[in-house]
Amino acid sequence: MTRLRHRNWQGWWFALPALLMYGVFVLRPLISTVQYSFYDWDGITPATWVGIDNYRRVLSDPALASSIWHAFFLIIFFTLAPVVGGLFVAALLQEIRIRGLATAARTALFLPQIIPGAAAAIAWVWMFSGNGAVNQVLSSIGLDGITRAWLGDFTWALPAVGVIGTWLGLGFCTILLISGIGKIDTAIYEAARLDGAGFLSTFRAVTLPGLRQEIGVCVTVTIIAALATFDIVFMSTQGGPGTSTMVPGVLVYQLGFTESRIGLASALAIVLTALILVVILPIQRFFRAA
Amino acid sequence: MLASLAAAGAAACSPPGEGGRATQDQVAPASVSTDIGEEPIELTLYDGAGLKAVDEALIEAFTAKHPNVTITTRFDPDDVQAQNAPRVLASDDPPDIARIIALGDIVGNGQLTKLDAWAQAYGWEIPEGQLAMYRVDDNGVRGAGAQYTVASGFVVTGLYYNKEIAERVGMGEPPTTIVELEEDLAAAKQAGVVPIMAGNQTGQLIFTVQMLLNDALGQQALNDWVFNAPGATIDTSEAADAVGTVANWVEAGYFPADTNGTDSTAALGRFARGEALFYPSGNWDAAALEEQMGDNVGFVLPPSSDGTSSLAMSDPVSNFAIPAKSDAKDAAAAFLDFLTSEEARQVMVDAGFAPSGEGDAPTTEPGSLNAEVQAAFADLVEADGQVQFVQNATSGINATWLAQTQLLAGGGRTSPADLLTAVQAKYDEELGR
Repeated sequence: MTRLRHRNWQGWWFALPALLMYGVFVLRPLISTVQYSFYDWDGITPATWVGIDNYRRVLSDPALASSIWHAFFLIIFFTLAPVVGGLFVAALLQEIRIRGLATAARTALFLPQIIPGAAAAIAWVWMFSGNGAVNQVLSSIGLDGITRAWLGDFTWALPAVGVIGTWLGLGFCTILLISGIGKIDTAIYEAARLDGAGFLSTFRAVTLPGLRQEIGVCVTVTIIAALATFDIVFMSTQGGPGTSTMVPGVLVYQLGFTESRIGLASALAIVLTALILVVILPIQRFFRAA
Repeated sequence: MLASLAAAGAAACSPPGEGGRATQDQVAPASVSTDIGEEPIELTLYDGAGLKAVDEALIEAFTAKHPNVTITTRFDPDDVQAQNAPRVLASDDPPDIARIIALGDIVGNGQLTKLDAWAQAYGWEIPEGQLAMYRVDDNGVRGAGAQYTVASGFVVTGLYYNKEIAERVGMGEPPTTIVELEEDLAAAKQAGVVPIMAGNQTGQLIFTVQMLLNDALGQQALNDWVFNAPGATIDTSEAADAVGTVANWVEAGYFPADTNGTDSTAALGRFARGEALFYPSGNWDAAALEEQMGDNVGFVLPPSSDGTSSLAMSDPVSNFAIPAKSDAKDAAAAFLDFLTSEEARQVMVDAGFAPSGEGDAPTTEPGSLNAEVQAAFADLVEADGQVQFVQNATSGINATWLAQTQLLAGGGRTSPADLLTAVQAKYDEELGR
């Protein structure tokens, strides 16, 4: 019994550096944010305690409701499209098994992942502009009628921002799913083939069930990216035109850094964190309950 | 685990923001001197990165006169500098000279030094319209009270126009009245040219909106609003009429159809390539436009309804202040004093900005676009027509103007009255009114 406890404590020593970093860079800011959210504070002069006033204002602000709706809409582009697309591509690469091509495809797909979101957003701003690459491609295939300055269009700006997210997320999901497929016993695929299963039925009966955990990770990570998105929107539209692409992350930044209302910004950040947890926890449970 | 919890818990003991306030003597020094002696003095200047070249030219000219002073510079990207200034000023080692954007707030924090003692000692004579931009009273209202800053120079806004297109659409002289302007806009539209170039993804429609607001409300009312005078409002029927004119122009197709998807850099390029008749902007675009368009571009102050008054947005390039915690204030004040000197004025003009203070107009290359810009600025100062930018009224108001003018440019997504009500609501909310 004593030896066991002794051994437990020894284990903690290995975790100590990580815990220290976690405490300083994750827990401390988190606790500070919770604390600030109960104050009216400009970041400089002494703060005044305002209780739950900040939360009351944040929750009654109509701008917040629409920005949260935008964030949920982005899940289609940040989560649904990359996961479905990633599954398809991963299954396809598993099927073709031509080494050179598979490696090239993997590299090309993963490339967006190593580019910072902010830089990607700038590149996409050029591509989405009035005479940018997107419109050039559309014109070249005879779709002049639908060309527009995509990020300046009240209807299309949000989906256009979403496309940037899809482009960034697809590689991540594909790589994760490919490695997941690699873990599935090839004997099962062989058995399926011997039984005469085609691409689709193999995909449904073998690949999909085998990837449950990887899909869970993809969905979790990308939903968090959608709900907490900041860099792509900030660099591409700043929430415009009007407020048609405003998301909570950009609102937090505006309140905190532009308007120097640290308390209000902290309250909004806490609400956003809580919202993400409420969405993510059931999803985690679903994918874990294999 | 305990260590990390302790580190986390330490943050949550007392309310944030306690301690570190400047003393009364730091804010309003009792004794000042115009003599900075011969001993070596080190100053730090903090500004936006876009102004690096012009600041360094000013520093070079200043230190040539005062060889015992060395000025090290510190730059952040322009908007980052604006946001970080209060925190940099609160640090243990603040700069001695710093550009201040949110002047009212930062004076309210007690972070700046009152300059009145130096103003008296040096005998500064600053035109009233400029001095207003340097002053804040005890209630945080700008435009009156103690002086806290001196501008390195000024930006000036107006209308750039394409001379070749002007000739083609029959615009003899640049418009002096708004009626004439509307005729020119209609003629340009008829000729298949974009009448007004504006990149409203980054909020350039506001230049046209404020040009008309200036004319409708006048300098005093708009400056009062930007300076946060008690009870100031922009939500009036006169203002709604002015915004309504812009709404009509949107409907008439006087702006590019994709203005909300065009940023200011792209708009500049499109105007330079001859896509539009007018481009409302400021002196900061003059160098690029002259390089690309040569003699084909002109600059005038915006027209007015009576054809005689001159009003245009014009405010400090860098509104330099001395942080309360600076430890070399006499030398910093000597630098501010230098900003209105002949040498400094010439440095600013050479860099394409309008000069601080008043005096003989610095020399420019005759016939150049910069000469036209300087002539327009001289007229503006003479007429006391410098108006503050409405985007600077509060820290957060720019985002509201941006969103609202994008709705306006979107055609019928908001009404002029609703736009002004939304802006005023944000203004009142931020100021706690």
